[in-house]
Amino acid sequence: MTAPTVDTVVVEPETEQARVLARSWGPSVAFGVFGLVALVFFGILPPNGRETRFGLSTASDAFRFDPIGVPSKIAAIALAIVCLGIAVYAAVLTSRPRRVPLWLPITFGIAFVMSFLSWAVAGNTLSLPVVLKGTIALAVPYIFGALCGMLGERTGVINIAIDGQLLAGAFLSGVVASLASNLWIGLIAAPVAGVLVAWLLAVFSIKYVVNQIIVGVVLNVLVYGVTNFLYGRLLGPMKDTWNAPGKFAEYHVPLLSDIPVAGPVLFKQTVVVYLMYLAVVLVHIALFRTRWGLRVRAVGEHPEAADTAGIRVNVVRFRNVLLGGAVAGLGGAYFTLGSSGVFSKEMTAGAGFIALAAMIMGRWTPVGAVFAALLFGFADNLQSMLGIMRFGIPSELMQMAPYLLTIFAVAGLVGRIRPPASNGQPYIKS
Amino acid sequence: MRRTNVMRVVASVLAVGLAVSACGEPPPEEQDAGGEGGKEFVGCMVTDQGGPDDKSFNETSYKGLQDAEKDGAISEVKIAESNADSDYKPNVEEMVAGDCGMIVTVGFLLAEATQAAAEANPEEKFAIVDFLYTDPDTFEPVEIDNVKPLVFNTHEAAFLAGYLAAGQSETGKVATWGGLKIPTVTIFMDGFADGVAHYNKEKDKDVEVLGWDKKSQDGQFVGDFSNSNKAKQISDNLLSAGADIIMPVAGPIGEQAAVAAKDAGDASVIWVDTDGYESLTKYQDVILTSVEKGMDVAVQEATTAAAEDSFSNEPFVGTLENEGVSISPYHDFEDKVDDGLKQEVEDLKQQIIDGELKVESDAAF
Repeated sequence: MTAPTVDTVVVEPETEQARVLARSWGPSVAFGVFGLVALVFFGILPPNGRETRFGLSTASDAFRFDPIGVPSKIAAIALAIVCLGIAVYAAVLTSRPRRVPLWLPITFGIAFVMSFLSWAVAGNTLSLPVVLKGTIALAVPYIFGALCGMLGERTGVINIAIDGQLLAGAFLSGVVASLASNLWIGLIAAPVAGVLVAWLLAVFSIKYVVNQIIVGVVLNVLVYGVTNFLYGRLLGPMKDTWNAPGKFAEYHVPLLSDIPVAGPVLFKQTVVVYLMYLAVVLVHIALFRTRWGLRVRAVGEHPEAADTAGIRVNVVRFRNVLLGGAVAGLGGAYFTLGSSGVFSKEMTAGAGFIALAAMIMGRWTPVGAVFAALLFGFADNLQSMLGIMRFGIPSELMQMAPYLLTIFAVAGLVGRIRPPASNGQPYIKS
Repeated sequence: MRRTNVMRVVASVLAVGLAVSACGEPPPEEQDAGGEGGKEFVGCMVTDQGGPDDKSFNETSYKGLQDAEKDGAISEVKIAESNADSDYKPNVEEMVAGDCGMIVTVGFLLAEATQAAAEANPEEKFAIVDFLYTDPDTFEPVEIDNVKPLVFNTHEAAFLAGYLAAGQSETGKVATWGGLKIPTVTIFMDGFADGVAHYNKEKDKDVEVLGWDKKSQDGQFVGDFSNSNKAKQISDNLLSAGADIIMPVAGPIGEQAAVAAKDAGDASVIWVDTDGYESLTKYQDVILTSVEKGMDVAVQEATTAAAEDSFSNEPFVGTLENEGVSISPYHDFEDKVDDGLKQEVEDLKQQIIDGELKVESDAAF
């Protein structure tokens, strides 16, 4: 990672603000390098004369369109030039010096990916609604998990137990829905499971000041152990009673679901996904537009100051960790009631850890985390879809794509990442 | 004073956490002797991470031990479940330390741990499901004096399933995907792809296989046997690419192919290892057939032989001929599959048994 450097040969005198905003050339350099890669490898080197087709609708949509065909080479070059333009703009902003806004890496990411697709799908048809719907399906747990992590870390409590909270939510919602033969009761049970795990985290990390990371790791292992044990004893042998919750049907939002491309992708979903939209909006507004959010952030940035101002630091932290647990637990319900209709062992498969990465990549903001999570989901799903088209890269390598992307993104694209100042530090009133 | 109390609480919670996770499963289950008057012989099993309820190969292998107990061939069954790669070695060693007459380890992933334990304890008898030791340089089979490999030429049965799927598909596209790219998974996919290719050759058709390319030995894999969300997504992707029959080779998360097929409405699934019609009762209406692997019979026979002091380390290879592998009845699809196609599948089976038709796979035994 490029170390933040302060340019000392600027002609005009540096303002106070400029000195505070230590300049980082990381994003512009990374944009430039990736832009060049796109230009050379996706645009200039591949053969001419192929066409890339993008499908815009599926058979069940209200409006159906023919796939759009674009000349692969020209599209890839044009998009690569957009990428390079963004790199130049980012460099100009940095030299001013001004902060690179969040929409810039997002636009860059989209242009880069489209350039890649123009090349990778050349001669084939890629159905955009299918790719995007799959992207959301894979990203939902990451988004719930990232919101959970954010609620904790914004107050200074690191939550490594997100995966355990997701799994607990998946488990309890599945079991309760199965026993009650009612999906809605299961959905209500999900946050309860998340809160239980979060309560353990809060008690040990806040009240008893145990190292937050160690508690988190142990809680994950605890949840894996307990759910595996109960699976072996109850859910596996007596499947029809304990582990047959079924799943929610998709609800098609009237009118909205008829919008071309975006409609079916966003508004033909299950209730769990609609709850996720709601959670993202609520967390965003609450964190940045309310007094509650200001207090939460104050506790995370400077607990002593918050305490002096009369905010009860550890109470705020405790509540936020529990709230985060509820969000993650609800996200867990997606695994059982939203997607699979059945609980299976360790079915989160580490989603909580990817959620943690999405949160960091999204700079501890809900909107940023959503895009980061979508990026992971997209990379993951694309890997499968390109594989079906016999795109000649070995599947093991393609499976690494989301993780490689994380490393690159965190190292360069998102710029300087600054966690809440008191993150991970217990607050003990002296 | 307060501090020490706190530390005590913390320490106990951590201890509980580790203890629960370390076992994950209670200590080896002890069950009452089924057969009366039978001699004392304990049949032990170490599963991989699928566990004995995976509706798949661990469960079937375990059934073999239970059947042996019911028959009275052995007096007791013990099982240790592995929840992580790091559990294999300790679980096998725990069994060695116990009073096991025979230790059955289930799966490719336990090969190393089994070999180490077998070499360290030449008196103990082992059987390993789904693995044949080979020399790393020459790829020739290697015998270990006290390990009996129980392996299956699953591709023979998968070949029949592929032929059936090709004949049954209306879209002209069939699909398969796997959990991990390991030989015991890809052998199904090889057979399936060859079956489709054989159909194309015989009928001059062009049915496509999505999700597996036999030539490049690559295709669609979840990357583990637990990520059901990804499994569902891969199934959805294959269906939306036009496939209408899917064969998932992924133990418990294979169920997601049935979920996706049921959502799609006009698709069906070929289950593997066991008869899916019996193990996936909720999805009976989408299960075309299953590629069965008779692990229960193999385990039962090997254990019984060991109990009768006739243990041998000669590999058992399940084939269509010895009914170690087979395809299940069509159940709900009995009326939907054309009689002519059924007959062709039967004929192919006979040809394979007679050796007239050779079915090959890199992963075959």
